[in-house]
Amino acid sequence: MKNSFSLKAGVLSLTAFGVILLSANAGGFAFAADSLPAGFKAGALAPEPSADMIEAGKRVYFTKCVWCHGVDGAGDGPGADRLWPRPRNFNQGTFKIRHTASGELPLFDAKKPVEGQNDLFATVTHGLPGSAMPPWEGILTEEQRLQVLSFVTTQLVKDRKFTDTKSESQTVLQLAELAPIAASEESLKKGAELIVEKKCIECHGVEGRGDGNAFNLKDDWGFSIQPANWHKCWNFRGSRQDPYNVKNIFRTFSTGVNGTPMPSFADNTTVEERWHIANFVNSLCERDVEGKPLPIDPQADKPKINFVVPSGKVEGEISADPENELWTKRARRYIAMGGQITHKPRNFVNRIDDLWVKSLYNETHVVFMFQWDDRTKSVAEGKLPWAPTSVNVEVKEQDPKTGEEGSIAAHQNNYTVYNDAVAMETAIKWKELPAPIKPRYLFGSNEQFPMDIVKWEADGSLRAFKGTGWDKDFEQRFDYEENIKLLFSEWKNGRWTVIIQRPLGDKKEQDYDSDTFFEMGQYIPTVFFAWDGHNGDAGRKMAVSAFYYTFLEPPTPQEAYIYPVAIAAGVVLLEGWILTRRSNKRKTKGLSR
Amino acid sequence: MKAIMSLGALIGVAGLLLLSGMIVGIIPSDTVRLIEGYMPVQVIAELILFVAGFTGISYMMSSMGMAFPRFWQGISCWAFVLLYLKFRVYPPIPFSVRAMYGTVSLVAVFMWVSANEEDWQKFKQPIMNVLDAKTGGNRLLRYAYLIILPILIGGFSYNAMVPKSEEPIELRTVHPAPPASTKVHGKTYTLQTSQNPYRVNPEGKYDQEYSNANIVEQGMGRLMKPNANPWDKDAQGYLKYVREGGEIFYQNCHFCHGDNLNGRGLHAFAFNPIPANFTDPGTIAQLQETFIFWRVSKGGIGLPNEGFPWASVMPPWEQHLTVDEIWKVVMFEYWHTGYYPRTWD
Repeated sequence: MKNSFSLKAGVLSLTAFGVILLSANAGGFAFAADSLPAGFKAGALAPEPSADMIEAGKRVYFTKCVWCHGVDGAGDGPGADRLWPRPRNFNQGTFKIRHTASGELPLFDAKKPVEGQNDLFATVTHGLPGSAMPPWEGILTEEQRLQVLSFVTTQLVKDRKFTDTKSESQTVLQLAELAPIAASEESLKKGAELIVEKKCIECHGVEGRGDGNAFNLKDDWGFSIQPANWHKCWNFRGSRQDPYNVKNIFRTFSTGVNGTPMPSFADNTTVEERWHIANFVNSLCERDVEGKPLPIDPQADKPKINFVVPSGKVEGEISADPENELWTKRARRYIAMGGQITHKPRNFVNRIDDLWVKSLYNETHVVFMFQWDDRTKSVAEGKLPWAPTSVNVEVKEQDPKTGEEGSIAAHQNNYTVYNDAVAMETAIKWKELPAPIKPRYLFGSNEQFPMDIVKWEADGSLRAFKGTGWDKDFEQRFDYEENIKLLFSEWKNGRWTVIIQRPLGDKKEQDYDSDTFFEMGQYIPTVFFAWDGHNGDAGRKMAVSAFYYTFLEPPTPQEAYIYPVAIAAGVVLLEGWILTRRSNKRKTKGLSR
Repeated sequence: MKAIMSLGALIGVAGLLLLSGMIVGIIPSDTVRLIEGYMPVQVIAELILFVAGFTGISYMMSSMGMAFPRFWQGISCWAFVLLYLKFRVYPPIPFSVRAMYGTVSLVAVFMWVSANEEDWQKFKQPIMNVLDAKTGGNRLLRYAYLIILPILIGGFSYNAMVPKSEEPIELRTVHPAPPASTKVHGKTYTLQTSQNPYRVNPEGKYDQEYSNANIVEQGMGRLMKPNANPWDKDAQGYLKYVREGGEIFYQNCHFCHGDNLNGRGLHAFAFNPIPANFTDPGTIAQLQETFIFWRVSKGGIGLPNEGFPWASVMPPWEQHLTVDEIWKVVMFEYWHTGYYPRTWD
């Protein structure tokens, strides 16, 4: 009876009437199966995996997983204390990515490695983007992944039992049968209203950057946790290699994320409403100037990186208003940021993982606009106990174990607040570096070939520094500060926008020995730094980028219009020659015959 | 014969549809995924399948009386190889390398179409027809070429002359020559004679044979030997130190070098050049243990002058770890990847 009903529903949902019929049907589901939320159906618990599978899985676990998840699966392996979010504690059977109703165990069947029907298998296969859990596809075989899950679900999940029909049930979201609603303007409008009505913005923030009630949230184990930033869909758990797919958002919204404050909305929204919300959330994810999804690097599972930051030529003054057409039409570059873990104090848990940079230049100045997401506006409350310019500070790092005072987990959202900040570092005289000396663009090569650093901080200061070597403290350049200018800075709904202007630098007018000369058409080595004050970032505890190149786009030369025309004319002549030759040949052939 | 050929044709058509669907985006682009580690073999196998498919298609078409002219066969085969290299292979190959492969395959196509005089005539025929322009269609085509070719070539040269910004290419020396000795935490270690003090059997004697017998098994997954679990409470000697090395690795190194030591750590996406992949047979498997000890201790900044990349942010770990910790973490890297360190003899 039930089967035939679902079959009908499936067929109906495939018809062109889609939207309306589907939502009506989904409502019907809820009635038919009594208390089941819309879009869900009752499922059966999978049989227990064989003893062989469990034993084989133990071997996989103690080779690969134990390092973070710990001997007893309590998420307390040696790696755990320097990770945030922390590795999963398996003991309670609480798992994030599921097709099952809120609070239920995820789908897992050791004999069925099918996409969409085996949640734990999918999590191990694809990893959890935005966390330290990597995809194990291509590293462990399908069999090995099922084995290790057999071990984890039977031996390490201790408080619940995957096969206990008395205490466990499976109510499964029928994601394959629910056709998404097109992301029309109307749908997005409804979604935008719904995220207010359903109070999504209370945690996720008015613009969805996770900046709402970001501070007091804790997971089931008492560790602080942050709401997702909807603008970085590649960091959504369960989104690997397909971050712009609304189905992932729909699933998370329908099932909730167990163990976190994110509830399931299945009981108080219709299926249709959930699609509107998913569409709207998806529409917020970063896109390019034309509104197309960003290309995703399939290996890193983040937006693809271009290491050249082009700066566009402008006549006259460069606007200080980020809404000015000059800025809004300018393409931006994605700058990937990692934690600075080479010098003490090290930053294992960097909360800023990317920046967006735009640049313009005119005859005298070059201007950079930095935009980055930061859930909290931080202006220093405490005084830094060491000089912010110094490196290799002897600070006590986060060595204590979780639970002890001073551990990373205890520190989250509990640091002394310092300034949010951003800085860029450009090389000086890099072209003149004699061959045996290697350029060291992170912090400078040596006294003769230093780096030119300009740093803005949230207290409104704009300072210049000189970096003279890997292990050297930065030197502040008080005499240079009058040359650099802060054009704009604002924190709004979880995003900083900062515009900084600096001279192009010129051998005649500027002190070329300590400034970068921004020469047109040259690749100027550039590194970016960023600090999140609420993460305790200060001094060298910061996020760093790789080595990028600032490139001042030269105007198109005259020759570019002349030579191609000449070449085309040459081709016409060549064609004429070939044709004449061919016809002459044919004529002589004809004559001789 | 016919059965084989029709099977080939079927494979060819299915493969082409699948590939073009994946590239255009009608079919999810990860339907047939290139699997890391097997990629070169996979690419060659795919190309062989496609060649078989083309043979089948061409045979079927000619047996159905719709023979595909040799000229177009050659052109489309070459175009296919170019498109395959551009759209299928990941990570993308730079244009200069693709141009080289393109030239090689062009030569191959030429050799194929000019294998004998008859084939060559057949191949040449369409070109000559257009040049001679005896029919109306060919005349039209000839005028079209007359106009389109100069425009195209002019356009290309304009494109080449407009200023563009492309990432400068950075060099990387994989294994720089090591020094004779290195000084770490005040003690000098001669690379040729130093030994890992933790590569010991349960009795505490240096025992490379014992440690080599207890590393993870090569093969898919690289799992530990069933009776060699470093997490065993009773583990002594080598295995105990492997666990201690792993603890250091997962507190310091995995952020870049990755949970599976494949250079895909949490922060790796932000860095260029990407961190070293220890599971690659070209890295630690090619080197002596003391070489790794030197590299870990001295980091990117300690690379000799001729060694690249200059952009490495590998820290000199002597600033963060003790000598003992470095030896243990080096040993863990060999254990976890299932490689033996090379010896000096």
